[in-house]
Amino acid sequence: MKKFNKIIISLFIPFLSFTLTVESDPFESTYKPLPPENILIQDANIYDGDGNEFFETDVLIQDGKIAAIGKDLPVTNEFKIIDAAGKWVTPGIIDIHSHMGVYPAPGVRTSSDGNEATSPVTADVWAEHSIWVQDPQYALALKGGVTTFHILPGSANLIGGRGVTVKNLQRNTINSMKFPNAPHSLKMACGENPKRVYGNRNQAPSTRMGNAAGYRKAWIRATAYLSKQQEYEAKSEEAKQMGYKPTRDLELETLAGVLAGEITVQNHCYRADEMATMINIANEFGYKISAFHHGVEAYKIADLLAENNICGALWADWWGFKHEAYDMVQANIAIVDQALNGKGCAIVHSDDAIGIQHLNQEASKALAAGLRAGFDISKARAMKWITINPAKAAGIDDVTGSIKVGKHADVVIWSMNPFSVYALVEKVFIDGATAYDKNTNFQPASDFDVGIISPNKNRIEE
Amino acid sequence: MFMYFKNIKLALFIFFIGLVHSESVLIKNATIYDGKNNDPFVGNLLIEGDKISRISKSNLRGDVVIDASGKIVTPGIIATDSELGIVEIGALSVTRDDSSDIYKIGFGIYDAFNPHSVLIPWNRSNGITSSLTLPQNTDSPIGGLGSFFVLDSNLEITGSSDIVMIGRVGGSSNGSRAETYSIIEDLLEFAISLEQGDIRTNADISEVIDDSSIAEFMDLHPRDVKALYKLVNNDLPLIMKANRASDLLKLIELKEKYNLNLIIMGAQEAGLVAERIAKSNIPLIINPINNIPGSFDELASNINLAGKLEKQGITLMFNAPRDHNYHLIRQGAGVAVAHGMSYAGAMKALTLSPVEVFGLGDRGHLAQGKIADLIIWDADPLEPSSMPEKVFINGEDIDLTTRMSRLTERYTKNKDQPNGYRD
Repeated sequence: MKKFNKIIISLFIPFLSFTLTVESDPFESTYKPLPPENILIQDANIYDGDGNEFFETDVLIQDGKIAAIGKDLPVTNEFKIIDAAGKWVTPGIIDIHSHMGVYPAPGVRTSSDGNEATSPVTADVWAEHSIWVQDPQYALALKGGVTTFHILPGSANLIGGRGVTVKNLQRNTINSMKFPNAPHSLKMACGENPKRVYGNRNQAPSTRMGNAAGYRKAWIRATAYLSKQQEYEAKSEEAKQMGYKPTRDLELETLAGVLAGEITVQNHCYRADEMATMINIANEFGYKISAFHHGVEAYKIADLLAENNICGALWADWWGFKHEAYDMVQANIAIVDQALNGKGCAIVHSDDAIGIQHLNQEASKALAAGLRAGFDISKARAMKWITINPAKAAGIDDVTGSIKVGKHADVVIWSMNPFSVYALVEKVFIDGATAYDKNTNFQPASDFDVGIISPNKNRIEE
Repeated sequence: MFMYFKNIKLALFIFFIGLVHSESVLIKNATIYDGKNNDPFVGNLLIEGDKISRISKSNLRGDVVIDASGKIVTPGIIATDSELGIVEIGALSVTRDDSSDIYKIGFGIYDAFNPHSVLIPWNRSNGITSSLTLPQNTDSPIGGLGSFFVLDSNLEITGSSDIVMIGRVGGSSNGSRAETYSIIEDLLEFAISLEQGDIRTNADISEVIDDSSIAEFMDLHPRDVKALYKLVNNDLPLIMKANRASDLLKLIELKEKYNLNLIIMGAQEAGLVAERIAKSNIPLIINPINNIPGSFDELASNINLAGKLEKQGITLMFNAPRDHNYHLIRQGAGVAVAHGMSYAGAMKALTLSPVEVFGLGDRGHLAQGKIADLIIWDADPLEPSSMPEKVFINGEDIDLTTRMSRLTERYTKNKDQPNGYRD
């Protein structure tokens, strides 16, 4: 084991000085928040997303950031005061697994753009180039407190392409919704889906061993591509002028980005034995799996996930739609969370436009199941499952995912404790600006919503 | 010696089980939502045999006493749109018994029901005690028969077969919905034209089919024709899946024209025509958590639907996606309450309403003489985090072990053993 680690380290060192990012990024985020407000939220009960709970505490929002958190913060005229006595405040909810935009509503053939199911390895495709920015589902998720979500390609392919993290502010280009500086992800998929899709066409993969061979062949090509690029980059300017610049390859560029540690791996995988195999493959080629998604059997290898610092992005109770999803236990999330005495990283994800609106309820079910299984888990800790942990898996936990001074002011005010089904989102702030306010009926409507039932109304007002 | 002892234990166990059934069970000091009345009351409930023999605010005596102080007791929840017992694993066709390529209208799933499906203990441990199990839609816009099952896991099935017909209308990639309505009307006209003498033998029916262009066009079999006859002559409930407001109005028209016992399922745009639905007294099965404009038929989907419909006095029942967790209608009910429905109304939608709409007998209501299908909850049943502490079906205290609880034990206890050697 030790020897293996050394190999990984020696593989990684040369990459540290090397960046694959194309110099001027044509797809760079142009996200701009709404005009930020200066707000003092007073006397709130708070789950801060880092596992702490505060009562009757104030949160100060200034210039789009969390400026302070504490009791009886000084009141000045510059701040709009929100009395949150008896209410609950949490960080903006984050979903690490969404297909909004790539499988928008209405679910029709003409905008179902989530699976480039024409080849088992399509690392060259990017979800953001499929996303329909007018999907009416974003606004619904916002009312569920979701401020950030990660949009992934589907799971038809072994390697399905790049995912993208967005802020939940509906805009008319994807660039203007992209979370600034968030890393891309690579969607990979185990198990039944790729082997069914391609096996039915009588092509590889048609078995799980075919799946494994498919990933490994791709990583071998990526490793060679990366060395070639690095060789070129290591040359003097003069030599660079003389020689040929290696041709870019979109597919291998993405895979090399993973090997270089710039792109996270989001791996759809249900069965425990397959997750263990995927960890072996990651070790073989020296990349890191950020999270296993769906992982209905994650509880069977919870310690292994914790040892490898891999999150489990899981449902509270979905199961049985496939054979690989048959061994569901409702304590799955709690068991992953509690692995190695609480070193586990558990995430509640949705993969669903209804579920994303109620991630607090999904966390509540998962917590209740954990308590029934005998674990001692606080609500404050369970709140991490839908805030800081998905932020960590997406590589944005340094700037969002918890109510901490200096972080983005992505904040939700709930009518009551968010672990109750009766809790409603009252206000959502994204980067310190009101994005939703239940009381004043301030809410976004996508272009799709406008006049589509009655010409003089928006869809949601019907 | 050890074996001998074990056998005695077994014998005692069997004896005990026999005894329990004849013993009365008193549930004391429970907060009772009886399914019918709006306000709960703190009271006592006595189970004798398979029935509720007394329910009272005053003291009762029973052989076994369960103190339910501070606990909510409700009727067992009825899943009104499930595949319980006929689908084990969604994507595994060899475990699916929910569709037919041959029969268009008279296809029923009763004979396929598997009381040993692992979905049954799972949903039961979450509060579902019986199920209206429905097949997939057939190629005909009306057709396919659902059955009622009591989820006691006994191989001797307690249930009623073929008590409801299903159908659907809406946007589709093959053909106009106007064509769908034409087919429905042709089928209904054909059904009305049938005399009892026409359907005495299969040979008689075959003759009728030969004489009917719609029956021939639809490739109907005698069992399809019998089901159609039952639909128009025996008041068989017809659950039509439809969502668009204009479709809901068209279905109201058909109900009135053909005197159908119509229930509409989906009904995502019902909020736009709620008064008309109420006036025609049509019960609805809705998924209150579904606010997605999932198709062009569902553009008006809204999270406030249940509350809006309740205000019009419409009888409501709930469904959840047809995927294993039918108990999630509890969460849906909680969401409905959070968005404006009354608590008692939501509770009734989960319990008594399906019994009244589909004629499911003496269930869904906690009252003297009713069958004792009931739940003692550890907390508010509309909170998805709550679970039953006890489930009674036909008066029997049901073991709440599930495959899921067994697997949980396996991976939280005795972890030093390889999993194959754990309990």
